[in-house]
Amino acid sequence: MTAHTLGRLIGRLILGLAAFSAIFPMFWTALNAFKNRVDIVTPTPLFIFEPTLDNFAYVLGRESVFAGLVNSLLISGAAVLIGAVLGLPAAYAIARYPNRWSRDIQFFVLSLRFLPPVAIAIPLMVIWLDFGLYDTRLSMIVTYSLLTLATIIWLSVPAFARVPKEVEEAARVDGYGPYAIFFLIALPIALRSLIGAVAFAFVLVWNEFLIALMLTTSDAKTLPIVASELTQLGRDVPWGILNASVVLLSIPPLLFIGVLSGMLNSAFKRKIQ
Amino acid sequence: MKQKNSLPAVFLTPAMGILAVLALVPTAYAIYISFQNRELSRPDGSFIGFANYIDLFSDRRFVNAIGVSLTWEAVTVGMTLLIAVGLGILLFECVSPRTRNLLALLFLVPVILPRVSAAFVWKFAFHPLYGIATYPYKAITGQPLDLLSNPATALATVALVDVWQWGLFFAVIVLKLLETLPPQPFEAAKLDHARTWEIYAFIALPMLKAPLISLAFVKMIESLRAFDLIYVMTRGGPGIATETLDMYAFSQGFIESGRISYASSMAVLMMIATSIAFTFIWKRVQ
Repeated sequence: MTAHTLGRLIGRLILGLAAFSAIFPMFWTALNAFKNRVDIVTPTPLFIFEPTLDNFAYVLGRESVFAGLVNSLLISGAAVLIGAVLGLPAAYAIARYPNRWSRDIQFFVLSLRFLPPVAIAIPLMVIWLDFGLYDTRLSMIVTYSLLTLATIIWLSVPAFARVPKEVEEAARVDGYGPYAIFFLIALPIALRSLIGAVAFAFVLVWNEFLIALMLTTSDAKTLPIVASELTQLGRDVPWGILNASVVLLSIPPLLFIGVLSGMLNSAFKRKIQ
Repeated sequence: MKQKNSLPAVFLTPAMGILAVLALVPTAYAIYISFQNRELSRPDGSFIGFANYIDLFSDRRFVNAIGVSLTWEAVTVGMTLLIAVGLGILLFECVSPRTRNLLALLFLVPVILPRVSAAFVWKFAFHPLYGIATYPYKAITGQPLDLLSNPATALATVALVDVWQWGLFFAVIVLKLLETLPPQPFEAAKLDHARTWEIYAFIALPMLKAPLISLAFVKMIESLRAFDLIYVMTRGGPGIATETLDMYAFSQGFIESGRISYASSMAVLMMIATSIAFTFIWKRVQ
């Protein structure tokens, strides 16, 4: 009994440490974002200091950061929209109308995730250069649509499969056609998981780095690229500005944390009972 | 339903068409340029057959990059799963459902962070002079600790960040998987006075074998995409200690010499290797 209690105590301690490691680094970065340079570059880490908004003002005032933010929002938003409009119906068709190709289609969609990003980015760079579309938002949107489409299909197939068949049968008996069943029955019922899938696709392209690095040079640069350039600023590193830009880059994905956790919960709902 | 239903064709064709074009055209083009001697500064190249591929095998940096990539895969996949299973079981055993949900939410934070952010957060934490992670060592020994500039520790340090991002996330998934298991076998085992670790080792984990293999599979694919972490934290350095295949392909194609065709041949080999490996594993998982 005592051994059991002790075990639980140690287990809780380990979990506490893990939770601490999960959030403390980001908390520390956020704290540093409000510090003056002298408060960051100290031999002893400072928890109490005079906060400043200069770093954020500087970051948001920089033209490159602002342009990166706009690019990221437009490119990620458009790619997610295309992925959702085309991907959700496709996922529904795969889930509800299985045929002899369904497994192959699913494997094809998954296999797109195996492709090393370099293998895609190099030829795409050459192709976009040839089309005169290199370093444009359009080429980035098209490229990212590949990512969002594959991801949304992959995550939405199980979400549609979990919609009870009986509900759709009942609607059919009531005279609903196949399209009406999709839009009026399946889509609303699966909505929570579908929003999760779409949010995940957004986080994925918002965070994407390698393809953006290779396919943009100035006009269509996304925020991760701009942020990474700030981190390479030679000797006299503006640490506060760096921390502020990292915080800024991380806010949009973190906004989706509730949605993503909801998607996990519905994906792993106990099937028996 | 006698009438033929148009929905599958209408819903599937556009998405599959776009995916096929977007995936197959670059793939075919990658193979096409890998047989040329195209460079960034010279748009026109000529066909040189398999020369790029042959050159690769006498390229010591390429061989090194294969080694780094394989080490990276083994370390990050292994550690992620170990941490995920360990923390997942602790979450299931040691805390109340409410605390469990709160912790699960916190454990999602690292994986949602952009990799560039995660990489920078830790790069600064490991800074030899001002880093919070190296501070305890510096305070005790009086010496700065520079893990990222040391060839012996650089790869492990970057791997730590990857495992931090994925291990905590997978712990949440392991927890959810444990929650879906039927409770009867556990109760039976408890009646037989099985110890807790025995219940997990002999009942729970074997029941979860298939999903755990799928998790390993997902992590193997994700580990191949660690470019951003390595790029921001070490840029392949010190020397070539953390230069993975995609990092090397990138520096050959863009930073150093602009040899796109050479980089492309490397990418094609990676593509073939991963396709074969993952198709094989996928068929076994199914």
